[in-house]
Amino acid sequence: MKKSHLFLVLVFFSSFWSFSQSIATSPYSLYGLGSLYESNFGLTAALGTAGIALPSEDFINNKNAASLVNIPANNFFFEIGGTGIQSSFEDNVRTEKRNNFQFSHMAFAFPITSKSAFNLSLMPYSSSSFKISGLKIPIIDGNNEYYYLDVIGTGGLNNLDLSYAYKLNNKLSLALSASVLFGNTTDERTYSISSSVTSIDKKVNYSGIRPILSSQYKMNSSLTFGLNVKSPTRINANKVQSVTVENGLGSSFLETNKKSDIDDFYLPLDIGVGISKSFKNKFNVTFDYEKSYWNATNQSDMYGSFADQEKFSFGLSYQKAKTARNYFNRIKYVIGAHYDTGYLEVDNKKIDDKNLSVGVSLPLDHLSSALFISYTYGSKGQITNSLIQENYHKLTLNLNLDGIWFVRKKLD
Amino acid sequence: MPEKIGMYKFLFLIFSGLLIISCDSDVDAGEFVVGADYLALKNKVISIDTLTLDVSTVKLDSLVTSSESRILVGNYDDPLFGKVKSDSYFQVSTDYYNLYSKNSDTDATGYVFDSIAMIMRYDEYYFADTTKVQTLNIHRILKNFKPNVNDNSFYNNSSLSYDETSLGTITYRPKPIGKDSINIKLDNEFGKELFNKFKNNEIADSAEFTEYLKGFVIKSSSATSSSVIGFNTSSVLRLYYSKGTGNTEESEDNYKMDFTIADVSKQFNAVSSDRLGTFIQDLPLSKIALPSVYTGNKGFIQSGTGIACRVDFPNIKQFKYLSEKGAIVDAKLIMKPVKNSYSVMFPLPEKLSVYVVDNLNRIKTTLTNASGETVTADLYKDTDEFNENTAYEISLGAFLQKEMLKESDSKSGLLFTLPTLSKVVDRVVLSDQASKENKMKLQIYYITY
Repeated sequence: MKKSHLFLVLVFFSSFWSFSQSIATSPYSLYGLGSLYESNFGLTAALGTAGIALPSEDFINNKNAASLVNIPANNFFFEIGGTGIQSSFEDNVRTEKRNNFQFSHMAFAFPITSKSAFNLSLMPYSSSSFKISGLKIPIIDGNNEYYYLDVIGTGGLNNLDLSYAYKLNNKLSLALSASVLFGNTTDERTYSISSSVTSIDKKVNYSGIRPILSSQYKMNSSLTFGLNVKSPTRINANKVQSVTVENGLGSSFLETNKKSDIDDFYLPLDIGVGISKSFKNKFNVTFDYEKSYWNATNQSDMYGSFADQEKFSFGLSYQKAKTARNYFNRIKYVIGAHYDTGYLEVDNKKIDDKNLSVGVSLPLDHLSSALFISYTYGSKGQITNSLIQENYHKLTLNLNLDGIWFVRKKLD
Repeated sequence: MPEKIGMYKFLFLIFSGLLIISCDSDVDAGEFVVGADYLALKNKVISIDTLTLDVSTVKLDSLVTSSESRILVGNYDDPLFGKVKSDSYFQVSTDYYNLYSKNSDTDATGYVFDSIAMIMRYDEYYFADTTKVQTLNIHRILKNFKPNVNDNSFYNNSSLSYDETSLGTITYRPKPIGKDSINIKLDNEFGKELFNKFKNNEIADSAEFTEYLKGFVIKSSSATSSSVIGFNTSSVLRLYYSKGTGNTEESEDNYKMDFTIADVSKQFNAVSSDRLGTFIQDLPLSKIALPSVYTGNKGFIQSGTGIACRVDFPNIKQFKYLSEKGAIVDAKLIMKPVKNSYSVMFPLPEKLSVYVVDNLNRIKTTLTNASGETVTADLYKDTDEFNENTAYEISLGAFLQKEMLKESDSKSGLLFTLPTLSKVVDRVVLSDQASKENKMKLQIYYITY
């Protein structure tokens, strides 16, 4: 018991440490709050991220908190995950490869009573990580004059999810979650204009709480429907900025760590529906449809231009027997596909994302402890004059640790 | 159970190992950029070259010309600045009051006067046409060599009364670079009298000497345009005498006595100009600037006579309304000399000094950078035959930013002079903003933040 305590502390510590690391860079992450990051628990990454109608029997299903009521009594789930991404960015003239391994999430969940359950998850929400070197931009009203811009963007938002799920009856369960979003992005810009160099260093702090209502309806033992409604939310933003101009006459400090309010960021209304159907207790097909109403957010131009987003997720899994003697029979095999229209518009083109995925879950004990391994290959964006295509290989490793804590308590 | 924890630990180690190792593996050269328009939207960079520039000419109050260690003499006719003339006043002295002090012979009565001359040593400064002959005359100062009461300096408009009779004259072609000096033979009567003062021991100290010989003024008396030449203060008055044996070829019997300009505060140049018929013939007092609309769309700068060009930015405060938060990050003032206003004979100075002045043309400070270094407007020469891009350039970003943000109504202007104000007669004529050719231009770069 002591040992596993220590172990959990270590995990927490290392996870928080990992949080300070930037996650995958992307040229697109200069918009909005950065590139939004979806943490996929269990094997959802391999299911094309589908999971709104899946239960939480053998992993913490963060796609729908109402599923938490399925965690077996007295079990305590602890999950930690990471993602390795190899991306290749490509535009009209060049290709560049980038590798990154990042912390994905850390969560625990447990039933409170036979009808209710609780979950806490910590994960990145967005990543603003990009670099721009010597971009030549025309000067307004200039006579064929240009300035050069260097930008380094870092930071991102974190998401602390707290969920409470309640089972109304054998068919219907509901959950209320609060997504606490917090974090900051920094943006260091250097403008080389004529013989001057202007530095605008900006740190924007964000915070907000987003309520989420979810439910699952179990039609029968093999058919489940799920619904997720994420409320539109205002993310409060304020910035701390320093502006320095260096020119032939020395440096002048126009602003030094000056705090000011800036336009808040608005998260849209998100509605997701899912269906899950099992066949012969071995196969499961699941499909999610999600829509984010970005148009209605009337976002400030400062953050970029956003449009309604739709996501289609499809997953198929096979597991011979959940409780077989033969280890290989207990392995779950998964494939999936995902299409995301994107919400960001750059030069009137949306940045879409499509991928295919496979995965396995390797049981670690006779409870639900398992190592989930998913591989995703996908492509984001498209090559045009101003856009970039990003092809990526993504390996998701999640570790779910299941413990019966009620029994242990007795042992103490 | 213990084995299980061991396995978890193992997996955990793999996880954290991966996390630690790979965090920095991302390489981003920053070459991929999406949405340059979006980047330009957040902070707008604007170029403005239409800000009004007011150019005017200022006649500075008299300039101190004493202690400058240059004897500046000559005259020339300038098509743009009029007839420019410089006379130089100085006092000489000696440390020896005996003719025999430099030899062992104590019999002073044996010495006879030979001659006296002013040896003027070039200091390599010259201006205008040195191919023309120049005539210089040396006169003796009649009054005590003293500035006005309560003052220790002489100015470009100071003068001392002198004897109209010339003690010596020379008409020569200046060779300020090729030759060392010129030798002006002075009047023998004057020389003999001086010689006898020493011979008869009538002068025993410097006070008695300066009482007797108060000083000289060298004046150019050329009727036509020639040049202005600089001589250095190692120039001497030299008295030649000998043993009087009649054997003048024997060098050891020939002696000389040098009178040097030991006190440079007793040397000054009176620089004047007759601007009748030029654009700047009616320059008002120093407090008032003469706008370029009255001077042919030109701004004038001349050292020696103390003419300076002032540039004002009357509408600079309007930049405040351009954006709630914005800054002038850079501003280049490009000032072009008037076409055909310069030549090999009237060369352009390499630099112009810049001063921040108030509305009464009083100098508040030199324009400096953050580290206190003085900033100048530097000449960029154009190699093409039309010289259209020959211009003085200075970066005024920080100055204009300050002016833009200034709370008070008072506006500062910039005053341009030559780096050397009082011992040269170099000059520049600049075109203003309304001029047809070589317009003055201010390029401002502004950023919103």
